[in-house]
Amino acid sequence: MWATRLGQRLAVAGGLPLARASRNGLVVATPRASKQAVHREQRTMCTATSPEAGVTNQQGKQKKEKKQKGPANGNNNNNNRRRRAAKGADEPTSSLEEIRAGRIQKASDLRTAGMNPYAYRFDRTASSAELASKYESLGAGEEVQLEGGDMEAVSGRVIARRAFGKLAFYSIQDESGTTQLYCDKAKLNQSDPEAFSRLSTLVDIGDIIGARGSMKRTEKGELSVNIAEFEVLTKSILPLPDKFHGLQDVEKRYRQRYVDLIVNPEVRNTFRDRARIVSLIRRTLEDDGFLEMETPVLETVAGGADARPFKTHHNALDRPMILRIATELHLKRLIVGGFEKVFELGRVFRNEGISTRHNPEFTSVEVYQAYADINEMMDLTEKIVANCAQQVCGKLKVDYQGTEIDFSPPFRRAPMNELVREATGVDFLALGDLEAAREAAAAALKEAGVSAHNIPKCPSVGHVLNEVFEEVCESTLQQPTFVLQHPIEISPLAKPHPTVAGVADRFELFIYGRELANAFSELTDPLDQRQRLEAQVANHVATGGGKESKGDAGYDVKVDEDFLTALEYGMPPCGGLGIGVDRLVMLLTDAASIRDVIAFPVLKSAE
Amino acid sequence: MADAEAPKVDDLKEFPEFPGEKMSKAEFKRRMKALEKEKKQAEKEKAKAEKAAEQAAAKAAKGEEVKLDAEETLDPTQFYENRIKFVNDQKSAGGTPYPHKFHTNITIPEYVAQYSSLEPGVQKTEVTAALAGRIMSKRASGGKLLFYDVKADGQKVQLICDARNSSLTLEEFQKLHMSVRRGDIVGASGAPGTSKRGELSLFPSGFEILTPCLHMLPGHTGLKDQETRYRQRYLDLICTPHVRDVFIKRSNIIRYVRRYLDNMNFVEVETPMMNMIAGGATAKPFITHHNDLDMTLFMRIAPELYLKMLVVGGLDRVYEIGRQFRNEGIDMTHNPEFTTCEFYQAYADYNDLMDMTEKMISGMVMELCGSYQLTYHANGKDQEPITIDFTPPFRRISMLDGLKEAAGIEIPGGATNLMSEEANKYLLEQCEKLGVVCPPPTTTARLLDKLVGEFLEEQLTNPGFICDHPEIMSPLAKYHRSVPGLTERFELFINKHEVCNAYTELNDPQVQRERFADQMKGKAQGDDECMDIDEGFVKSLEYGLPPTGGWGMGIDRMTMLLSDSQNIKEVLLFPAMKPDETAK
Repeated sequence: MWATRLGQRLAVAGGLPLARASRNGLVVATPRASKQAVHREQRTMCTATSPEAGVTNQQGKQKKEKKQKGPANGNNNNNNRRRRAAKGADEPTSSLEEIRAGRIQKASDLRTAGMNPYAYRFDRTASSAELASKYESLGAGEEVQLEGGDMEAVSGRVIARRAFGKLAFYSIQDESGTTQLYCDKAKLNQSDPEAFSRLSTLVDIGDIIGARGSMKRTEKGELSVNIAEFEVLTKSILPLPDKFHGLQDVEKRYRQRYVDLIVNPEVRNTFRDRARIVSLIRRTLEDDGFLEMETPVLETVAGGADARPFKTHHNALDRPMILRIATELHLKRLIVGGFEKVFELGRVFRNEGISTRHNPEFTSVEVYQAYADINEMMDLTEKIVANCAQQVCGKLKVDYQGTEIDFSPPFRRAPMNELVREATGVDFLALGDLEAAREAAAAALKEAGVSAHNIPKCPSVGHVLNEVFEEVCESTLQQPTFVLQHPIEISPLAKPHPTVAGVADRFELFIYGRELANAFSELTDPLDQRQRLEAQVANHVATGGGKESKGDAGYDVKVDEDFLTALEYGMPPCGGLGIGVDRLVMLLTDAASIRDVIAFPVLKSAE
Repeated sequence: MADAEAPKVDDLKEFPEFPGEKMSKAEFKRRMKALEKEKKQAEKEKAKAEKAAEQAAAKAAKGEEVKLDAEETLDPTQFYENRIKFVNDQKSAGGTPYPHKFHTNITIPEYVAQYSSLEPGVQKTEVTAALAGRIMSKRASGGKLLFYDVKADGQKVQLICDARNSSLTLEEFQKLHMSVRRGDIVGASGAPGTSKRGELSLFPSGFEILTPCLHMLPGHTGLKDQETRYRQRYLDLICTPHVRDVFIKRSNIIRYVRRYLDNMNFVEVETPMMNMIAGGATAKPFITHHNDLDMTLFMRIAPELYLKMLVVGGLDRVYEIGRQFRNEGIDMTHNPEFTTCEFYQAYADYNDLMDMTEKMISGMVMELCGSYQLTYHANGKDQEPITIDFTPPFRRISMLDGLKEAAGIEIPGGATNLMSEEANKYLLEQCEKLGVVCPPPTTTARLLDKLVGEFLEEQLTNPGFICDHPEIMSPLAKYHRSVPGLTERFELFINKHEVCNAYTELNDPQVQRERFADQMKGKAQGDDECMDIDEGFVKSLEYGLPPTGGWGMGIDRMTMLLSDSQNIKEVLLFPAMKPDETAK
């Protein structure tokens, strides 16, 4: 019973000013506006009869579930009280400014008491997780007496506190989890008679504190540090938002990611997983002998993709520049230069709208291997993706947004024209004639119930085939599938297929209906390359120069002459691969939006 | 039908020389004889081929042209046109001048490692090695024997193409090799071996051009023009020895730092390169515009503020290795984009970070260069190099103490009085007296910076820390715990250049706000090197940043030191260049 009630209390801990004390004397989250408020709160503190309480993530979760289910245990009274408390958070007795002023006053009080509210350093002996494993065998009710330099030292942010007269419990959160501090007035006051009262009056939820003490497991089985001393390391002067209110606000979560990270530990896990995925990709490539390179972000010609670039200006050179939209053309120059296995994992920029799948800056890894072709690139892709899934998720069958994705290699391989023929019955490559292709496509799209408005704009049979593929097939490719043999017209940097006319030696990897990777046997023929790039420029001009609306000046697409010169010096046969890192992270962390895997996504200006 | 001379079945037996076959004694003798003959013939041919090879190589070594490609004497335009014609002729004949794939089974460095111990004059005909690379030189001895030096991954192997080893007819062989040019990328397969003189070679039976080089490669002396080296880095990599080693070293430095931090449980993160405010340092930013959102954005000048926000969020140890952008001039040590590593460690201070820096940097030099002592041509390649000693611990100089000791500078009233007119006037006088030039505005921070540059940085050829900078110079560093007016900051100097900058992070939001306000005052006085206030960042501090040590290192400068490069362009694959005036 107690645990349940406390759990409910704790669930709202970290909330906005809940300067409420129940009849039981439980005090939760007590940011105060003024010294008067402090006194008020002190008056309300009284001894509780059963101070045993545990706060662990797991327990917290259980409480949360129970709560969400409503008064399942017949504990109506408590539930109502919790609701009132939560409601209180929306109707704070003190304004944010008052709370802030109150906490600034406390920082000053700490200084007066000879304590630094912004300490310089702290030596901790163990993280929460390390403590848990170190004292795993400590039985309930047992204590390991530690003194002096043997004491365990922990630090973290206060996320909950409960006081029972001469006893208080503080939960502090560090990177690895939470630790309970068992604060016994008698013990704390041994070295400093004011210590306990300072803890109660000057430490708020949100503060970062360090504490040293013995290890004790409470009767309820909660591992705790029985503290002999503590210090405020950083006084927080803004209260944390209520977990169940403030951080439902998705925009705010992205804008103030640090608050999101504090209040939602699973968000921290997402970014830790992101780091692991990036590290795994690097290690897989490095172990295969690939060398990581850094090519320029600032360029004079945007190449390697067809996308609107960001423009900027270099003052000293008085020269317009653009931000790279891909790393491809520079990495290929390095293959010309004699490096045989290179990659770059880094940011690329596209001046396009934002969506759940698009952020103006995103991370890609591009890989180039001399004397290889798409077959090696397919093997490498499978290796990277499956390895990440296995290491990060611990298995190859991963749930993504309710769909089970099976990352077990080998992935399905299918030519684009085949997929389209299966779906529509039309063999576009056999049609040959653009008008016939457009007619067949319009009919097929109509039958599939999707818009055919792009079809008349398609300048070639290849474009028509691709349009039908995107509209009809893409979304059906839930399980990892290598789509092969793209029309040559939409693959300006890929070699023609060695045996099938009209298509490129290329693949894209689709998972959950999204493109995750793109690879070619790279086009090495400089004469063919020139024709293709010139056709791309002509097509760009013919289709309106990238203008998206009236008054939009569009953007230029130019032939990168320097790249062509490099090809003329000879690039060996080469396989190239690009993987969208953000999208891979989304898949493996079950994130619905790219903004959930980018720490600080671009957002519309806050009004 | 039984032949009278047919041996009786009983007489047949298996000889160890011909396992799996049963034959009569007579047949065995006959077979052995034939084998002997074959062997002698092969040896004869081999000796002949090698003799020719030796002669050719000897001639080449003496500088005699064995048989220069007629086209090598052409002018570049003619060369280019001939090559285009070659490619087009092949295409119209249904050939594939750019084949999709050549199956190699060994890289040239692997080949060198595996076979360089072969005795002179050996051919391992039982092995077929398939390798590929770029032809760096071609020599011919008649139409039937050609020698190529093929290079890949920084290493070289000789191809001895003998028509008799080739799977082609003599006519095909000659036609193929007539078309091969220096610079072409070729694939070859055949027997590993050595020439009589012991030069590691491959004796190909298969040979094909994988990618023709359409331009004449620069001569054997390499690229002389520095501009061309940077503008056409691929040519530089082909022609200039050791350039690739610089970039391998660069890659290894980054890898070392990454692994060092990973092993300490730091989490690598990626923070935005495009921001609404350019914070964390003082520099002119690049400005860009997001079309769809109609929003002006700045390219980041430092990731500092975002990384600290992540520490506020509870990621106790974070780092980022990535590009920063400053819209400034280009010179020997500055490029508009450059790479830094920044890390932030909760609960650590600048003393911890100094110890860590010593360990990391000295360990890096030891691992990547094999010694704590590094030779560096600090005064140019034509001067005697200096030795830089990375043996820890590094020297530590407290800034004001150091100035007092080195130049007798003693600010009236000490560190607490640095903000005063009096201090400013004193420093101005000292600069004049000591002959230190400080262009206006002569703020106290700038005057100090010049004096430190003159008297302290000059002392630090070996790695050394300058610590405890005044508050006015360090708006994001925490006030010193025992000396008012100073901060807990250090910079690491090596060869008199700043390589690292670190401090105990200022986490008191009120003080941070005041510091930003002071910076704005400096800006009003005309000091461009003052920061803008970032309200979003100060707000994050109000939620509480734990005591944190923060650290930054310039990867480019570190690479310059470890690769003995004197110009930042040497360590950037594609440095920013002025527009090419000579280009059409």
